Amino acid sequence: MTIQTSTAGASAPAPARAPVAAPSRRFGAGALVLLMLLAAALPLIPFVVKVNPYILNIFMQAATYAVAVLGMTVVLGYTGQIHLGQAAFFGIGAYSVALGTLVLGLNFWLALLLGIVLASLAGFILGLTTLRVGGHYLAMVTISFQVIFDLILTNWIAVTRGPDGISGIGRPSLFGYTLADDKAYLAFCVLVLYLVIFGVWWLPKTRLGRAMQSVRENEMAAEVSGVATLVVKVVAFTMCSALGAVGGALYAAGFAYISPDNFSFKISIEFLTMTLLGGSQSPFGGALGTVLLILLPEWLRFLKEIYMAAYGLAVILIMVFMPEGIWGIVMRAWRRLWPRRPLAHGAVEPFKLDFPLTDTAPVLQLVNVQKHFGGVRAVDGIDIDVARGTVHALIGPNGSGKTTTLNVLNGIYRPTAGQIIVDGKDLTHTSPHVRAGHGVGRTFQNIRLFPALSALENVMIGAQRAHNPIERSESALRRRALSTLDFVGLLDRADQVVRSLPYGHQRLVEIARSLAGSPKLLLLDEPAAGLNQTEKQELVKLLKRLRGHGITIFLIEHDMGLIVQVSDRISVLNFGRKIAEGTPDEVLRHPAVIAAYLGESVHAAA
Amino acid sequence: MPLLELRDVTSFYGSVQALKGISLRVEPGEIVTLLGANGAGKSTTLRSISGLMRPASGEIFFDGQSISRLGAEAIVRLGISHVPEGRRIFPGLTVSENIMLGASSRAGVSKAQLRSEVGEMFAIFPDLERLEKALGWSLSGGQQQMLAVARGLMARPKLLMLDEPSLGLAPIIVQQLFAVIRNLQQRGMTILLVEQNAHMALSVAHRGYVLETGSLTVEGSPAELLDNEDVRAAYLGGARPNAAN
Repeated sequence: MTIQTSTAGASAPAPARAPVAAPSRRFGAGALVLLMLLAAALPLIPFVVKVNPYILNIFMQAATYAVAVLGMTVVLGYTGQIHLGQAAFFGIGAYSVALGTLVLGLNFWLALLLGIVLASLAGFILGLTTLRVGGHYLAMVTISFQVIFDLILTNWIAVTRGPDGISGIGRPSLFGYTLADDKAYLAFCVLVLYLVIFGVWWLPKTRLGRAMQSVRENEMAAEVSGVATLVVKVVAFTMCSALGAVGGALYAAGFAYISPDNFSFKISIEFLTMTLLGGSQSPFGGALGTVLLILLPEWLRFLKEIYMAAYGLAVILIMVFMPEGIWGIVMRAWRRLWPRRPLAHGAVEPFKLDFPLTDTAPVLQLVNVQKHFGGVRAVDGIDIDVARGTVHALIGPNGSGKTTTLNVLNGIYRPTAGQIIVDGKDLTHTSPHVRAGHGVGRTFQNIRLFPALSALENVMIGAQRAHNPIERSESALRRRALSTLDFVGLLDRADQVVRSLPYGHQRLVEIARSLAGSPKLLLLDEPAAGLNQTEKQELVKLLKRLRGHGITIFLIEHDMGLIVQVSDRISVLNFGRKIAEGTPDEVLRHPAVIAAYLGESVHAAA
Repeated sequence: MPLLELRDVTSFYGSVQALKGISLRVEPGEIVTLLGANGAGKSTTLRSISGLMRPASGEIFFDGQSISRLGAEAIVRLGISHVPEGRRIFPGLTVSENIMLGASSRAGVSKAQLRSEVGEMFAIFPDLERLEKALGWSLSGGQQQMLAVARGLMARPKLLMLDEPSLGLAPIIVQQLFAVIRNLQQRGMTILLVEQNAHMALSVAHRGYVLETGSLTVEGSPAELLDNEDVRAAYLGGARPNAAN
């Protein structure tokens, strides 16, 4: 009897709780497994059911195109760079296989490798020369590259065989078995596609993938957080070129005949459309967009004369009404049915940030720093020493050169003259990400986060800076980010997209992002701007807690109440020159500071 | 009759309700301030009034006329000028061009008149005069804020709505700015002011409202609000304010 009652008592609450969340999640996971099995079975269908060879051809085209489109997912979707010449890289792969096997007598695999190497090399050189400039230059240069490639294919007849194209390209063999059969070759292409989808899907969960997304979201913030933005962009573009070549190589062997028409600007635009239509930020979107854009014209053939017009209209409508692409809509519906599980992180490690205070040398020295914009002397010869472990404030009227000083300090601007020495190292001529690697962290006056990423991802990007004294593993990064979010009091917001966070929380995420990188020197540009009194008090507490960890803080602020509470020393700028320096008491009584900055009634300081 | 009246205005961002039935009024010649935490709906209220957002329900009256269904341009022409938060200036135009554009809603202003009004703005913000020919983007954050306020004033509005005008300004400029706000009110302008600097805002306002997560919770004179324990705890950092000078 007793046993019965106890089991009844124990099991009774369980069914009451279970129906709320568990079954729907389990069902969601089940649906996912089912979808994956269906996808795996897809290429096997032609072996079981008789399929029209024409249909096989269409799917072969879709599978090979999709590989090239996934390259676009990396460059356009993840890294945010506009690329209008993917067909040229597709062509490099195709012509490498065609000419490599037929003229040079290589086997398919070596020819494929040749194609990948050539395309990567072209992508690397093109990327390195144009991505430095930023903006829309990549779009223009890729168009030019596309046009030049087209002209070479058509006119260098001795090598490319000109507009007639190349026929008789053979199929590869795998483990001694030649994939001459269309069904087998299609299955092989789909397998390659699945591998590429997996790789591209996995990418955002890695350091490199996160760095790419940070470049897309806010390039300046990425650089300042320690991401070598140029390297990341070039790597992304090179990966895209290589995937283009793989797709092209498979295409050439699949259809046995290629001509310059297959690699024209029009095809580049098709690749771009497929990427955007399906959803540029997911490999599934890219694959879906490709299949759809290849099938759509076939489905619309019954419309006869107007079918191309209907096709164009359909593309326009999808673009206008689904800006995130079809996959964006699919995911939104999926999330509505099966909401994301709240982040489970268990116990969080305490936030560590300990710098030995044994060294008494200043952590930062500005030596006669000048920055002129044309004739304007924004910063006109400033000398400031910032002592280790202190909070040092920089104040001054609007336009006196404070933010410019900070921008020179962390490398966004090159100084006209002078030196910036951090911890004894001269960093005057280094870029912002190198300085981040030396432990210089920074926040911005008008918050610069990675808006579409979660708070956790934002902070992880800060944690993955070079030389951050934590383990290199992915799980260590994650633990570091969680403990930093916990330190600023935002642990429960970790999985929220930062765009949706209130302003005050966004400020804290930005501070957490730089703290996760264990900065020796933290530069804060008006951290209290836009916070109300209560939030300001929280910020003061946070800054005071940080001081206990031996970090050095150099901050710009207009809220004198805050400055008086946290700073050890204050430097005052006016018209790009230092007009006063000292303890808060000394500076606030300084007549020049009152005249230029504080005004007569200093009651705001309370 | 109040110059501005909101009756039970609600507003949504997607599926998130930003305003949950706001009713407030601003009498002619008054300075009214809206206080509240970040995300409480202060900026949304201003955006709903100026037509940048359409309220989901409720009515907004200006000068006795319903404006809830009017577009932003029509509302500006009626005499409501909105200086948004975040320094939305024209980066590729010079400081004087930016200022002059503020008058674009007024018909038939002569060039000479425009120049003299720009001169008045320079008298209020001497820093801007020095930068007359500088392009908007080259200004520091605080200078951009001054420019945005000056541009808003050029519309010669009946109602001026300022969204966090003191953000990022040096203390001396904040004092000047609030002196300007007082001065404008004495010249008959009506002002609706959103501010994080609650002490400053209450030092010039006739009345204030407190917004909390989309609803108005407290209304009163500056003295009443400064005395209210809840308000002090939430928006004034808990400390009793120093007697202003």
